[in-house]
Amino acid sequence: MGEVIVITSGKGGVGKTTTTANVGTGLAKLEKKVVLIDTDIGLRNLDVVMGLENRIVFNLVDVIEGTCRIKQALIKDKRYPNLYLLPAAQTKDKTSVTPEQMKKLCDELRDEFEYILMDCPAGIEQGFQNAIAGADRAIVVTTPEVSAVRDADRIIGLLEAHEMKQTHLLVNRLRTDMVKRGDMMSSDDVVEVLAIDLIGVVPDDENIVISTNQGEPLVGNDTMAGKAFMNICHRLVGDDVPYLDLNVKKGIFSKLFSKN
Amino acid sequence: MENPVVIKGNKHGITVFLDAKLDFGTLKELVAEKFRDSSKFLGEAPVILGFEGRPLLPEQEVEILDIINANCNLKVVMIDDHDAEREERYKKQLDEVLMEIDRAQGAFYKGNLRSGQEVFFESSVVVLGDVHPGASVISKGNVIILGSLKGQVAAGAYENENAFVFATDMSPVMIQIAGIRARCSDEQGKNGNKGMKLAFLEEGRICLEPLSKKIWNDIRL
Repeated sequence: MGEVIVITSGKGGVGKTTTTANVGTGLAKLEKKVVLIDTDIGLRNLDVVMGLENRIVFNLVDVIEGTCRIKQALIKDKRYPNLYLLPAAQTKDKTSVTPEQMKKLCDELRDEFEYILMDCPAGIEQGFQNAIAGADRAIVVTTPEVSAVRDADRIIGLLEAHEMKQTHLLVNRLRTDMVKRGDMMSSDDVVEVLAIDLIGVVPDDENIVISTNQGEPLVGNDTMAGKAFMNICHRLVGDDVPYLDLNVKKGIFSKLFSKN
Repeated sequence: MENPVVIKGNKHGITVFLDAKLDFGTLKELVAEKFRDSSKFLGEAPVILGFEGRPLLPEQEVEILDIINANCNLKVVMIDDHDAEREERYKKQLDEVLMEIDRAQGAFYKGNLRSGQEVFFESSVVVLGDVHPGASVISKGNVIILGSLKGQVAAGAYENENAFVFATDMSPVMIQIAGIRARCSDEQGKNGNKGMKLAFLEEGRICLEPLSKKIWNDIRL
């Protein structure tokens, strides 16, 4: 019986889609059968980040309206045998789907997949309600900025009101140098404010921009962000892994040797 | 009349319709029977009682009241005599009675109040958790927060000037007591007005003070 995990944040631009793409790919690398659902109808981009944009024929709204079967709309990622994507419609809007329909869709996918990841749109309106309707767990993504943390707080409150069984916190785009100077909240500060369990911290890493542009998630490779996302996947499946040491010591030697 | 005694519910209580032609002795027996039969249905709420259909002498009214009291568990708080102004006053008194019951019980809220959440209490309330920025607690009595207060609180809403607000970590965005508001100053907002503090109303202004014996002496419940 599969588990439905919604990735949400409230505020836009904090890394929900990047997280969905990387966590989904990471879980597939751990040989789990995974489907990613883009619920951001009208502003889809999970397919772009995954590099699967050209292969879209049918979408989420087609499945819900019964224009096609679920199997027809699922895009299989050729790089990973266990990874599928259900893209959002681009020509419709969030009101073309109801929370009840999303719940039904999730329940149908549970038999087939071990993990169903929902990429939630920004905001707390219909799109958010649709995305959380069928979810068992939630990952709340935030950056260490007061505005993002404030929105995360609101989202956690709404998830609690919705009786979400488990809510995890992911702190994204942390800059250790700024934290050390006292110019940025540390992950501990964010956890203290929001008072929920931390599932991982992802450092601000320019490799993310490169990987997003190339449509190739970086999870599991040698970059700091890649390692951080892989650790999050391990924690999601229940492994106990220590938190990464995000202090990159860029001495003169590491600079010289990193060019090989 | 088919039914010489009829009980009907209204906004604030019940109205009893009495047959005008029946002799008073028979009527009393019928009232007793009616209230005995519906005792379970009527429950034990505080109500305002009204009579209609038959003019009653004051002694008769008392007699019927006694019968009602003897035969059911309703708490008759007052008698309605169809005077609009008086009815308004009664309604207010009934509200006060209800609030008194709530006040005696007190209230607890467990958990963090997050941005966008708002809770309302008829009585004083103890919050076991934090009140985050963007959340608000409204109470007709006192508000005691065993945690940090970073959101909004309205105590003594909206006219209890003796109400106070206590938090183990006091850095609110806004406090309101009996309708008077105070906003934290911009500088305090940045540095945080940390620590255990008590907020109360004094000469139309809201004061924030650390706990001391003097403060407790000034507090009236």
